[in-house]
Amino acid sequence: MAEEKEKLAVETLSLTKSYNGKAAVDHLDMQVRQGAIYGFIGRNGAGKSTTLKMLCGLAKPTEGEIRLFGKPAEDSYVARRLGCLIESTGLYPGMTARQNMMMKAKCMGLADEKSVDKALDATGLANVGNKKVRHFSMGMKQRLGIALALLGNPDLLILDEPINGLDPEGTREVRQLLSALSQEGKTLIVSSHILGELSKIATHYGIIKEGNLVEQIDRETLEGNCRDYFQIEVDDSKRALPLISEHAPQVQAEVMDDGRIRLYDLKDGAWLNHLLIENRIQVYSSGFHHMDLEEYFLNRMDNLAEDRKGGGEHV
Amino acid sequence: MFNLLRMDFYRIKRSKFIYVCFACILALIFLCYLMVWLMATPEGQDTAVKIGLLELSELEEGRSLLEGTDLLAMFRESAMDGGAYNLIFGIAVALLVCGDYQQGFMKNIMPLHRERWTYIGSKLMASAILNLLYLVASYAFTALMNLVFGGMVPWADLGGTLFYLGWAWVLTTGFAALIILLCVLSRSTTIGVLGAVLLGSGLIVTLLHGITSQFHLGGWVEYTIYYNLTYGPSAYASVGDLRAVAVGLAFLALYSAASVAAVRKRDI
Repeated sequence: MAEEKEKLAVETLSLTKSYNGKAAVDHLDMQVRQGAIYGFIGRNGAGKSTTLKMLCGLAKPTEGEIRLFGKPAEDSYVARRLGCLIESTGLYPGMTARQNMMMKAKCMGLADEKSVDKALDATGLANVGNKKVRHFSMGMKQRLGIALALLGNPDLLILDEPINGLDPEGTREVRQLLSALSQEGKTLIVSSHILGELSKIATHYGIIKEGNLVEQIDRETLEGNCRDYFQIEVDDSKRALPLISEHAPQVQAEVMDDGRIRLYDLKDGAWLNHLLIENRIQVYSSGFHHMDLEEYFLNRMDNLAEDRKGGGEHV
Repeated sequence: MFNLLRMDFYRIKRSKFIYVCFACILALIFLCYLMVWLMATPEGQDTAVKIGLLELSELEEGRSLLEGTDLLAMFRESAMDGGAYNLIFGIAVALLVCGDYQQGFMKNIMPLHRERWTYIGSKLMASAILNLLYLVASYAFTALMNLVFGGMVPWADLGGTLFYLGWAWVLTTGFAALIILLCVLSRSTTIGVLGAVLLGSGLIVTLLHGITSQFHLGGWVEYTIYYNLTYGPSAYASVGDLRAVAVGLAFLALYSAASVAAVRKRDI
């Protein structure tokens, strides 16, 4: 158990943040393993940024505890192992990129200016280090924010929407950078709305809804849950469903809101099309699909909403 | 805290507003010398009469302007008494502190310095050092102007000068603590600068004093930063002359404690 805890880079115990009596983050128990890329997902206002702010020491928890690398977050040594980029990048526009970096380096007590050059280089800003930040594009500012977070070679990086405002090339570069940092053994917590990008790098996921961590899942389990399915669009789903159940009882069927039918555990789609047409059911479209992170997330959110609705009716 | 102080000085050295504020203080001293030269010296009066600034009947009155005035008195009259220095220095402090909030750089500082009192401590120390540099350089500039304008006034007693600069430094650092508190509470450069203008110039103190004096309750004014800076002693004569230091230290402690409480309580 002790060994297990040692491997955790971040652990929150019943972490709560309330504003005017309303909980923005509600008894959140999060565990992030060392070396993981933890994708933190949730809708706007779900409590992602508030949680990340508390982890970074920018907001004080109303209740609960944060442990970083097994030690309380208030520990000054632990704080130095942390690099943060929360919401918009905090930069002095009248200063150059390098000067902004130097400011943080001084703040950290770093004597060696090479670490500044190294971080600028890693984020592709080495050539524009002497350019004033006010002349930077949004994407460049975002990269500089990541460079600031990288200063001091932290073991844990907390990045809130790091690919916001980046062009496709910049997004790819940041993704590659984050993967490289992970390979160096760093732990990353990344929140992003661009789930497709997040799914390319994340090894673990945490899904937050209305301040509650509804699921923590690793990539393998997620991929297991994201099953392949065969989707068909027919003119009469009420007739099609019993027909499918009769001829393929092992297949699990799900009718979507738009009337499309999803069939899980179906190996061959051709005979099904043939079957439906033979029984005079028109097939508008059909094909195999793979559920991605975005679909999984949306499904999870919808299921939760339905669960709550159902729960409410029972009450 | 010293790392934060290093960071503050890195920024101070590279911030235009620090030099602009200092230039304003120097301009004030220069203008004061120019006016005194025009009004009180024979060469200056000739010029003043030519440009219509003085009437011939006012020449004698003008010459008496410098009677009993030394370099320290010139310094006080030109920049300190009346609150001009506090106003300008207050603006510099407001821009220094509020910039961290306004630009969001606080988000880079606070994760590293979870003991938030260190932030206030570093800002106070940075302000105190900046204040010392401003005061000493301004006084040196006053002496330079005196030489440039032909030595209009005699040198002041060194002991008195050091005593004055000492308590003025404590008192104005107390004022800096007040501006830091305003900035921490409001997180707004506009409010910080406005506060420096209204409080530094003594506008609010004068207004409140005027109102409370109507009810014979105006005694409190003697314990304000503005009053002590304007009417404080130029040389040490008795223990009572240390009131300005006591007022400065009391406000410094009070506003610093309030700033620490404010920065601890609020999220970034």
